Amino acid sequence: MSQEQLPVTEPEQVIEDPGEKVHVWPHLVSIELVGALIFTLLLILMAIFVKAPLVDLANPEVTPNPSKAPWYFLGLQELLLHMHPALAGVIVPTAVLVLLAAIPYIDTKRAGTGVWFYSPKGIPITIFSAIYTTVWNVSLILIDEYLPAGDGSTGIAPLLISWGLPPAVGYVFVPAALMIFIPWSLAVIVKRRWDADTRELMIALYTFFLASFIVLTIIGTGFRGHGMKLMWPWQIEPPIGH
Amino acid sequence: MRLRDLIVNNRFFKSIYRTGYPDTARKRVMVVINSLALHLHPVRVPKRAVRVTYTWGLGGLSIFMFVILTITGVFLMFYYVPSVREAYWSVVSLDTSVMMGQFMRNMHRWAAHMMVLMVLLHMTRVFYTGSYKPPRDFNWVIGIVLLVLTMLLSFTGYLLPWDQLAYWAITVGAEMGGSAPFVGKQVNIALLGGFEIGQATLIRWYTLHVIFLPLLLIVVVSMHFWRVRKDGNISTPIYPAEAAPEEVRRRLQGSAPANDEMA
Repeated sequence: MSQEQLPVTEPEQVIEDPGEKVHVWPHLVSIELVGALIFTLLLILMAIFVKAPLVDLANPEVTPNPSKAPWYFLGLQELLLHMHPALAGVIVPTAVLVLLAAIPYIDTKRAGTGVWFYSPKGIPITIFSAIYTTVWNVSLILIDEYLPAGDGSTGIAPLLISWGLPPAVGYVFVPAALMIFIPWSLAVIVKRRWDADTRELMIALYTFFLASFIVLTIIGTGFRGHGMKLMWPWQIEPPIGH
Repeated sequence: MRLRDLIVNNRFFKSIYRTGYPDTARKRVMVVINSLALHLHPVRVPKRAVRVTYTWGLGGLSIFMFVILTITGVFLMFYYVPSVREAYWSVVSLDTSVMMGQFMRNMHRWAAHMMVLMVLLHMTRVFYTGSYKPPRDFNWVIGIVLLVLTMLLSFTGYLLPWDQLAYWAITVGAEMGGSAPFVGKQVNIALLGGFEIGQATLIRWYTLHVIFLPLLLIVVVSMHFWRVRKDGNISTPIYPAEAAPEEVRRRLQGSAPANDEMA
């Protein structure tokens, strides 16, 4: 058996610039100590003034309304309102994790390491991507909440079903297509408008992920009340069944 | 200075810190080399890397939250009973009749939320500073694993008080897992330890929460730290050879690179 030849790639010609160096003791250790002290104090104050929730004993007979997951899953729970549970609960989070992990294997150039937002285009691209994503997310949520679908129900999928299409179209294909179209269209716009390279496209797409996560989490936490209906935060009443 | 001498210039202090108080460059190197905890760090770091506005200390704060969670968590374990009949009432009595019980439970809960937040922000910092790029590419993947572990740790803890919040959160969670294509039913049974939420579910999630996931996290985070050191410590700017700013070229030509961070 012959030994397999590894492909020879031209090493990237780069200059690393660590700049001036300082001793870890005391320059870094002191910062770490101050950070730890500030957070300890913060947590102690929170623990004194804000009680951890404990509601009624678990009761399989009474379903709280609304019943919500912890905040970091409320983005997924928000997706669950708009599409098939397998898509929202399993496929989307798996795809997000795999794509996040794949970032350094797509954007492999070392230049740009160690600099916030990479290039002068970095911040404009981040701001544009955040706004673009937020507008899409909020509009789609509003449309899916209020679009009349005949017979008193609302939403995109019920409307498509009322047109005689199979449920899979509204609950699987349309949301999946939108979740591919929005980041794809964002990438196309950023590439044309800013002549973006791979790293700048990654910034646009990560910002799409981050802005979606934040917007969905905020809506799921602060704007969903009884029956998971959309409402203002001050209209939300404490859940029934707690 | 008298007071300092009293603390620092005695046999006991010097038996711990053999080189004495680190007031010279040499002693500052030695204190890091000789200490197990400090030795997670290199001896010297780029000045720009210790600016708070570069890293915001988010990775360090994540692991610090884990330390607080371990300490408060052990305290909670002294009183918590992982049985369907007693779990809720053991938490109630922790809040009402255990000295510092409510405080420790609050602290545990808020530190848990804070840890999830810190890990998410740390990932975001690493992304926007381009610190995932080679040779740090695989450490980014390990970081994603740590994000998942952090969320699992938080979510398994959410169930343990056995109140309505816990019960219905796991109901939603198990239904979501149960909707997985092809293996939904198996996933559902694995999550619940049976066909419905009960004692088997509680003991399963409790064991994961207090033993398995923390141990796994310690192993994976050790790999994470190890690789931070092996991949060249905190990231610093890298320029394409022809595009480096003039002042950077001049500085690099003027001085040979220091190699003491390998210590």
